[in-house]
Amino acid sequence: MSWETVIGLEIHVQLSTKSKLFSGGSTGFGAEPNTHVDLIDMGLPGVLPVANREAFHKAIRFGLATNAEINQVSSFDRKNYFYPDLPKGYQITQMTMPIVGKGSIKIDVDGIEKIINITRAHLEEDAGKSIHDLFDGETGVDLNRAGTPLLEIVSEPEISNAKEAVAYFKAIRQLVTFLDICDGNMAQGSMRCDVNVSIKKEDATELGTRAEIKNINSFKFIERAINYEIERQIRIIESGESVIQETRLYDSVKNETRSMRSKEEANDYRYFPCPDLLPVVISDKEFSEIKDNLPELPDEKEKRYIKESNLDEAEAKIISSSKTMANMFEEACAKTNDSKLVANWLVGDVSALLNKDNIDIEESKLSSNNFAVLIERISDSTISGKIAKSVLEEVWESGEDVDKIIKDKGLVQIQDESVLEDISQNIIRDNPSQVEAYKGGKDKLFGFFVGQVMKETQGKANPKSVNDILKKLLDN
Amino acid sequence: MSIQYKSIKDLSNMLLKRDISHEELIKETFSLIESNIDLNAFITLNKDSAIEKAISLDNNKVESTLSGIPIAQKDLFCTKDLRTTCGSNMLSSFVPPYSATVITNLENAGCISVGKTNMDEFAMGSSNETSFFGNVENPWGKNLVPGGSSGGSASAVSSGIVPAATGTDTGGSIRQPASLCGITGLKPTYGRISRWGMIAFASSLDQAGPMARTAEDCAILLNHMCSHDLKDTTSLDEPIPDFTEDLDKPIKGMKIGIVKEFDLSKLDNDVVKVFEDSKNHYESMGAEFVEISLPNISLSVPTYYVVAPAECSSNLSRFDGVKFGTRCDDPKNLEDLYIRTRSEGFGDEVKRRILIGSYVLSAGFYDAYYKKAQQVRRLIKNDFDNAFSQVDVIMSPTTRGAAFEAGSKGSDPIQMYLEDLFTIPANLAGLPALSLPNGFVNNKPIGLQLIGNFLEESKILQFAHNFQKTSDFHLKTPRGENIS
Amino acid sequence: MDKKTVATIAYLSRIALNEGNEEKITSDLENIIKFVDQLDAARVDGVEPLSNPLEKKAHTREDKVTAENRKDTFLERSPRSNEDYFLVPRVVE
Repeated sequence: MSWETVIGLEIHVQLSTKSKLFSGGSTGFGAEPNTHVDLIDMGLPGVLPVANREAFHKAIRFGLATNAEINQVSSFDRKNYFYPDLPKGYQITQMTMPIVGKGSIKIDVDGIEKIINITRAHLEEDAGKSIHDLFDGETGVDLNRAGTPLLEIVSEPEISNAKEAVAYFKAIRQLVTFLDICDGNMAQGSMRCDVNVSIKKEDATELGTRAEIKNINSFKFIERAINYEIERQIRIIESGESVIQETRLYDSVKNETRSMRSKEEANDYRYFPCPDLLPVVISDKEFSEIKDNLPELPDEKEKRYIKESNLDEAEAKIISSSKTMANMFEEACAKTNDSKLVANWLVGDVSALLNKDNIDIEESKLSSNNFAVLIERISDSTISGKIAKSVLEEVWESGEDVDKIIKDKGLVQIQDESVLEDISQNIIRDNPSQVEAYKGGKDKLFGFFVGQVMKETQGKANPKSVNDILKKLLDN
Repeated sequence: MSIQYKSIKDLSNMLLKRDISHEELIKETFSLIESNIDLNAFITLNKDSAIEKAISLDNNKVESTLSGIPIAQKDLFCTKDLRTTCGSNMLSSFVPPYSATVITNLENAGCISVGKTNMDEFAMGSSNETSFFGNVENPWGKNLVPGGSSGGSASAVSSGIVPAATGTDTGGSIRQPASLCGITGLKPTYGRISRWGMIAFASSLDQAGPMARTAEDCAILLNHMCSHDLKDTTSLDEPIPDFTEDLDKPIKGMKIGIVKEFDLSKLDNDVVKVFEDSKNHYESMGAEFVEISLPNISLSVPTYYVVAPAECSSNLSRFDGVKFGTRCDDPKNLEDLYIRTRSEGFGDEVKRRILIGSYVLSAGFYDAYYKKAQQVRRLIKNDFDNAFSQVDVIMSPTTRGAAFEAGSKGSDPIQMYLEDLFTIPANLAGLPALSLPNGFVNNKPIGLQLIGNFLEESKILQFAHNFQKTSDFHLKTPRGENIS
Repeated sequence: MDKKTVATIAYLSRIALNEGNEEKITSDLENIIKFVDQLDAARVDGVEPLSNPLEKKAHTREDKVTAENRKDTFLERSPRSNEDYFLVPRVVE
């Protein structure tokens, strides 16, 4: 009685263009409601859509990175349905001639690699937002998001369990951020996914009836929703009933999926070619340019870091796994030739802080530029490594500029040898018994003298200089 | 000096010679509108703004042909801050925040928009009997329809109130009313005139066009209406000629196609006689007639009545009571909001077409109807391409007969649809076509249709102008005068 | 045309069918469909559908923000709104 799960994911990726797919409205997040709305986004009578070429370029990058078929001629269709945040009463999408065709992506689940095939990726416009709980007995509609370009990525139903689904989602997220086509910000809704789940007996050839769980935007919820749904379907079938093909919503509070009440029986979208939009043609020249300028992908970065920057595999893997961290690495390396130093800090102190706060690097207050400055100050001995740790912690909390922190707290390393020599001589003079004991053979007391100089200088003395000077003074 | 029935050229000369001031011209126009209020040709007037513009033109020396010319704008075009209704309850209080490109073009050329004309609701109709704002009268007879959907524009020009009006033509809505009202109206090549701001009925068929007393006036208007508009991806990026340049060129030796499949024997003898007379007229000017075949033409009307409703069913989905337009009172829930708003806001013909449209696009029927219709459409276009390799223009009657009585088509929608038999094919193929007055049947005017090849408006205007130079049908007025 | 089909089409279009109009609408639809059924006879094997008479490619836009904030203009045209949102009866999902 062994059940097999069949899962397909439809991921909606908000493309990071400045303006919308068919209008000059801004795509910026977090604006006051209905302030990023253009005449076209409103669907006013008489308005017409004009496609944003950059959205096509971004979609093509995705196609190239997934080794997909790319349709240089693509057209648009209308998907007709009524909903308050769908201003025209139809969504402009690509049903028949999507920009990107069949491709694939590699995922890694607990060290095991698997290829997931992608059926297609097409461009479509996003709807606005309906706010149900703010107004007494009414729903508020905000059209800021209406018209934002989406790339809908449809996987083949080749995913077998919740873990794979999460790995696939993560792989797509990593890819789209590295390709610089999406900011990957899940909290802001930059990526959402619909999950299709069905179950079948292990030896059955036919797929079971599938349920679609809509609009999940966190890795955790994807995993939970899928697991709940699998259990639910198993329960239904084992009790002799059939699974209904329907759309469901995941309730994260109750950790269950439930049927969408507003779903109409006859969900006939009556797709037909949009007569307002003639086909968009990407020329061969344009296509080559996009190909030639494709941003470096994680795998390529990893290999390059190992080869050129001398990182070991583990370091290279960690740093290349996130676009933000990779950028940080590269920016800091540009300021100092010591790539190992940079790697150590990222893989060591920075990663430790990320773990402590349980956040991703994108969510931290550490800017790439600030990190580069920190590395620079260590590299040029302005501050010692030890002091740098405390500066990093300060930046982490406040987001303040590294140089400002160093200045305000007077953390500049003392390099002046004559100053250090004076201080050292004072320490030696003031501690005659320790000097005698050291000279008598207690080598470990060397650390005492170093410690005293450090104490005297509030940790700001250049450790190496201190070592050299004390050695000179004590060992003669 | 009376301005009634004057052409654009006439009025332009009068203004130039200072026989009349801009202000006087506009004020007289409004008097004419007043005294002809029974026609119900206008839905909204633009009096204060128009007079203001006229006064400013009097104060600044401007000398272009269209400067100060009063024009009536079909209420399908968005006009900024001026109510735009599409003849529908759904938009009965809608004030657009922007103007259509074609409106801006004409106003920049100096035209003064005097008001918005009545029309069949959302451009669906052939008699102007479906407007929420009431029927329009044909100046040629109290109970006669002016044709549709640009009935108000046709009536306004025909009655001599304005020399010019804009119309739109999806299946014949400029040409058919032009024919029934005894004026000249032209639908250009699809894409010549921007559709930005033109409230969409059937996007792949709709085109704006001029309606005036003469082909020459139509050419003058067309010069300014056409533009390549980056806000409309279906706007043509072809050079725009001076459409008045070739008007006077002789048509001797040029070829006129007569469509074999248009069985004129089914028409009234009077109508056939008028048509034959026009043929003779052209022959006397040296044109040659060639019989051409458009084998798929008989499928034009059914094709149209699949494609147009399909597109309109989608285009009209935005009218949902949420963001603009009418909304039903006290909706109980979202479904109630949609259903009652749309059922109350739309008239019967619009509802019929939306329902047909939804039907032909629905799963299971798409291939048999919509896809099939689009395939037949290509066949019809190919037929025309073929024909134009043999002839310069194609000629036919514009309508099956002259204006009919309001209410006489009964409740069978198909009877009304067959009114557009001769006009629909040009829309399906995207070709330019015009109607010019070529005779009378029972004292009612009737029109001749000329269809041109892609981008060849100049040629059909040339044929029309040559005809008008040597005939006077277009000079007759409903008052029984002969203006000259 | 059976009742269920007409009802479905009416619902998809959000148009009310009631005692007053159902019969006429149904017979009108039947007649129109019968009329357009003439297309059945057409031989269209291998013919590419024509969805727009212009056989050209679309021009596109540069990725630039060109729209200003016109919230007030839009909200004031709405039949029901507050200072920030368009309002509809509460939607329950």
